[in-house]
Amino acid sequence: MGTLTTNHFLFLSAALFIIGMMGVLTRRNILIIFMCVELMTNAVNVTLVAFARETNTLYGEGFAVFIIAIAAAEAAVGLAIILALSRRVASVDADEFNALRD
Amino acid sequence: MTLDAIVFYILAAVCLLAAVGVVVSRNPVHAAVFVVITFFNVAAIFVMLGAEFLAAVQVIVYAGAMLVLVLFTIMLVDPDNLPELHAGRPVQRVVGVLLGLILLLEVGLAIINRTFTAPTGNATPELIGLVGGPAQAMGYILYNQYALPFEIVSLVLLVGVIGAIVLALPERLGEQFGLRRGTISLGHPRGTEVALPTGPDGEAPITEADRKETAALEGTRELILVRDPDKYTTVGERR
Repeated sequence: MGTLTTNHFLFLSAALFIIGMMGVLTRRNILIIFMCVELMTNAVNVTLVAFARETNTLYGEGFAVFIIAIAAAEAAVGLAIILALSRRVASVDADEFNALRD
Repeated sequence: MTLDAIVFYILAAVCLLAAVGVVVSRNPVHAAVFVVITFFNVAAIFVMLGAEFLAAVQVIVYAGAMLVLVLFTIMLVDPDNLPELHAGRPVQRVVGVLLGLILLLEVGLAIINRTFTAPTGNATPELIGLVGGPAQAMGYILYNQYALPFEIVSLVLLVGVIGAIVLALPERLGEQFGLRRGTISLGHPRGTEVALPTGPDGEAPITEADRKETAALEGTRELILVRDPDKYTTVGERR
């Protein structure tokens, strides 16, 4: 409580990351799993910016910009894969994608 | 409690509640709306941390472009396949929540026990204000020290866009341009020892013997047709 420290932001980012992780581990809809991965990258960005502020540097923010750019590319490719998969298997359930096994 | 802290707690609470909403919502469209709320709150937290440029990028790229992409995908996927009332198996849920709580404990202990790093840089808010603001400072960093990574990231984005187009291309489109798909069946009734008779275009024509054979096998096992192009994985293109 009281004044704001870096630890506040770190705790927020940890909570956000773990909520996203729980979503990835428990859900079966790949669209929601994808959104949870985005939540996790966002949490990492918060950590980087918080440390950048604590050390009075800009490198953390630079890293966050690169992460956002890579996340955009990942979103494009990931959603295209989801689209192609849903066309082939006619489902977005992660448990249905077992073509290598059967 | 300072005003800063109050604003932070409100933002953090809304952010975490929306994140929980993403995980528990059954409809992916609702999840997408919750994700937007989370992204906007994270952008506000970036503003609190003095990263205004990053907050703008967050809103434009995440809340703007990426969510449109997600919603497009949700709409393009067959709506009958969307609802997921069964959110994972019970074992999966218990293990997921347990692992999450253990990780939260570990990270919490690490955060509490860490020592504060002394400020090493000179990018104080006053100096950034002198340079002309956070956007100018970020531009200076990106185009000086990070110039090469910046170019590489642009290349990654280009390759990602091309890959996305190739992946999302309808498979029937290739046939219009004269590309034929070769399909294989590992479960063909005749097995793999028998050499298939080849027609003039390299394909196995369906002969009268084939029909008799498949008719004889009917009922004994699941009948699989070699020629059905939608059932099997594409293994390659043939001229």
